Amino acid sequence: METENIIEMLHITKEFPGIIANDDITLQLRRGEIHALLGENGAGKSTLMSVLFGLYQPEAGEIRKNGQVVKIHNPNDATALGIGMVHQHFKLIDVFTVLDNIILGAETTKLGFLQKKEARKKVEALSERYGLKVDLDAKVEDITVGMQQRVEILKMLYRDNEILIFDEPTAVLTPQEIDELMDTMREFAKEGKSILFISHKLNEIMAVSDRVTVLRKGKYVGTVNTKDTDQQSLSNMMVGRPVQLKVDKTPAKPGDVVLDVKGLSVHARTRKKDAVHDVSFQVRKGEIVCIAGIDGNGQTELVYGLTGLEKCSGGAVTLCGKDISHASIHQRGENMSHIPEDRHKHGLVLDFTLEQNLVLQRYREPEFQHLGFIKKGAVRQYAERLIEQYDVRSGQGPVTIARSMSGGNQQKAIIAREVDRDKPLIVAVQPTRGLDVGAIEYIHSQLVAERDKGRAVLLVSLELDEVMSLSDRILVMYEGEIVGELDPATTTVQELGLYMAGAKRTTKAGEQA
Amino acid sequence: MKQKISGLYQKDGTKSVLAALISIIIGLAVGSLIILAVGVANPTLGLTGAWDGIRLVFVGILSTGRDAAGALTFGFNPTSVGNMLFRATPLILTGLSVAVAFKTGLFNIGAPGQYLMGTAATLIIALSIPSDVVPTWLIWWLAFLGGALAGALWGCIPGLVKAFLNINEVLACIMTNWIAANLVTWVFDGSNYRNLVENTKSGYIYKTSFNGVETAKLGLDKLFPNSQVNGGILVAIVIAILMYVLMTKTTLGYELKACGSNRHAARYAGIRDKRNIVLSMAIAGALSGAAAALYYLSGNTEFFWSTYQSLPATGFNGIPVALLAASNPIAVIFTGCFMSMLDIVGLQLTNLTAYNEYITDVIIATIVYLSAFTLVIKTFLSGRKKRKAQAARAQAVPEEAPKPDAAEGKGGDGV
Ligand SMILES: Nc1ncnc2c1ncn2[C@@H]1O[C@H](COP(=O)(O)OP(=O)(O)O)[C@@H](O)[C@H]1O
Ligand SMILES: [Mg+2]
Repeated sequence: METENIIEMLHITKEFPGIIANDDITLQLRRGEIHALLGENGAGKSTLMSVLFGLYQPEAGEIRKNGQVVKIHNPNDATALGIGMVHQHFKLIDVFTVLDNIILGAETTKLGFLQKKEARKKVEALSERYGLKVDLDAKVEDITVGMQQRVEILKMLYRDNEILIFDEPTAVLTPQEIDELMDTMREFAKEGKSILFISHKLNEIMAVSDRVTVLRKGKYVGTVNTKDTDQQSLSNMMVGRPVQLKVDKTPAKPGDVVLDVKGLSVHARTRKKDAVHDVSFQVRKGEIVCIAGIDGNGQTELVYGLTGLEKCSGGAVTLCGKDISHASIHQRGENMSHIPEDRHKHGLVLDFTLEQNLVLQRYREPEFQHLGFIKKGAVRQYAERLIEQYDVRSGQGPVTIARSMSGGNQQKAIIAREVDRDKPLIVAVQPTRGLDVGAIEYIHSQLVAERDKGRAVLLVSLELDEVMSLSDRILVMYEGEIVGELDPATTTVQELGLYMAGAKRTTKAGEQA
Repeated sequence: MKQKISGLYQKDGTKSVLAALISIIIGLAVGSLIILAVGVANPTLGLTGAWDGIRLVFVGILSTGRDAAGALTFGFNPTSVGNMLFRATPLILTGLSVAVAFKTGLFNIGAPGQYLMGTAATLIIALSIPSDVVPTWLIWWLAFLGGALAGALWGCIPGLVKAFLNINEVLACIMTNWIAANLVTWVFDGSNYRNLVENTKSGYIYKTSFNGVETAKLGLDKLFPNSQVNGGILVAIVIAILMYVLMTKTTLGYELKACGSNRHAARYAGIRDKRNIVLSMAIAGALSGAAAALYYLSGNTEFFWSTYQSLPATGFNGIPVALLAASNPIAVIFTGCFMSMLDIVGLQLTNLTAYNEYITDVIIATIVYLSAFTLVIKTFLSGRKKRKAQAARAQAVPEEAPKPDAAEGKGGDGV
């Protein structure tokens, strides 16, 4: 039976303790369309998709495929119905090879023996056909996130899924990888596969989707044809009020030097070469300096070297007049706050409560402890203030376990904690990665406000838009070195792109800005 | 009121307690089934014999023997309770040792080795300081602290290996266990602490009552006459409370838990992760060492020094004690007592029926398996709650069942 809608999710309601993540949501996916799902962080997009994939059982509502009511109790049921999902946080087994990960759970066996050869042929054919380049024999822990994602996609294709769910697939990709992914998705749609695509990035949604369904705080807002709408109205729909897409800021008034980096080098973890080589720059009070560059050009290591997570192998770092090249992380923290790149690895103790996480940097201060005993009341009060002031949303307030919070609110909690520390230097690494426009607007305005209060802000970002709109000065990193200093007011995105790709440089090694 | 109860039900702690109780009840039930099976199969025991056995399994701690007619009698038996407390003392401490390590993300399977090192240090200090010169209470404290310190140092080894070489602590613990077993045997083999006076026994070290360095009874012998109980149980309870306070109320506990839960985030926050891993293992080791100290300082226990072929069960039994208690230090007091109660039950079975104490080993084994499943049981408990809510809602919903047509309308173009 051919119906127009291949999947219908009708009046889905899903509750978690203290929060209704999906409240009577209806979503209809047409055959062969790319259907975008848009909503702020915590709007319930992942939850809705997890319901479709059988990871959660809804309290109310039903799912139909081709008009027939189906029950999806677990991901195996979903697979049997041809539904596949690439999760926001990949679900691969690190120590297995790519091939093993792809066939895991759908192995072809003969007399109980794995038929790997056939599986390999099939995977190779798929990889060829869609241009999804992967190294089948590499271990997952050794490959890039971009490749991990291709592995996830191949996993779905290997299972002959015809309904493909992509939960924020672009959040972890480089601009080039994003373009490739878009092409792949269009290719799938052309072949009649139906795609559900979650993203916060309005330009991606405009570029690739046929229709958009918008959720807000667990509720259904509406579904629109992409060609009848634009970015501004989509973001207004999603946030529920007019949103400022452009950063609003006055010219910087730089003051004294706060951070002075001279000839800094940091060793790479795996390779012999320096990941950061002989880098020098300064950040002054009242300015936002942005390190731009394609992922993997030493930005992460540079930040590790500055914050003390990794030892510097050469050069000197001076913060507020003090040489901190060999200081401990704790000592550096006296004058520096750090919004880390990886919020799950460094930013949060996921099994701690929100309030415990909010004092992660401050629990030693007399305000929160006396003779080694934690002042519970003071912690609670402080957490409540931050939650209120920074609008951190969660199911159970201060006692919510951090793991159960949505990614955006986890990030907001980190921002609240770090900004509220009131340190002269803020190091912010991809602070808006994976966040919705509402949250991005908020975080950008926070960083600008901190700048205007006289803080020095060092921003590391992979997003060209963010780099161009937020920074007062741009330093471009390429292969561990700073290859140029640009003024966002006079430079163009194209020129920035040339520096990032290593096609252009204004500084020679050793005589940098 | 009803809301209060359901609120209590939702609390994690309540679920842990329920999960533990379920494990215990299933364990006792399995023991009873075996008793029944053996009884039915064996004509001399029969159903009445089995019924006696089953009653002892459940309330053996309250058994007061048999009356003139040969029927089991029950009532408060101070001797059994006292002995239970005495045997619980080291179990509570090794349970704490495992529990504290668990809370900080480490699996301390090294408790037996730490216990042995604690034993050796305690006995050497207690027996070598001349009690006619130094007051015995001072020797007692030195021996106790010495035992704890030896355990701590032994616990440090897997901690250091984990912190600096990133080698799993379980591996290092297993190795240090056997090193301890051989080391201790070797030290005592050549020592003059061997009890050669009472030559009916061989292979034992002097009891500490030999030179008067034994744990004070603190009046507990009056409360529980004819039992082995002494002040050690009070020391163990105080330590458990201190551990609870340490883990939940202090910045040190916060740091230890942060390191255990996410070492990277802890480092990011300027917490010295390596130091804390070592410290966690040192605390765990100190607790195991203290367990040994309290056991062997009691004055009526003897150490069989030739241990190179076996590790002390008290060390391993800390694991089920901690698991049953969901690593809560206060709960460890109770689960420790429960495990030692099973010991007493075993004795009663041997003394009063044709069954023997091995039945209780089966019960303990069942509970050990189940306690590893307490998490599963907990999840099951939460699941059941949810399903109930779902069922309730399903009943309320039918009239407003989803209307596909309405959805069509909503799903149309434009907003
Ligand atoms: N497993 C869970 N337990 C409790 N709360 C959850 C869980 N998963 C999601 N939530 C909550 O449900 C809401 C929706 O989350 P999610 O679907 O992840 O949002 P997003 O739209 O960002 O994908 C959030 O408030 C989140 O905190
Ligand atoms: Mg999500």
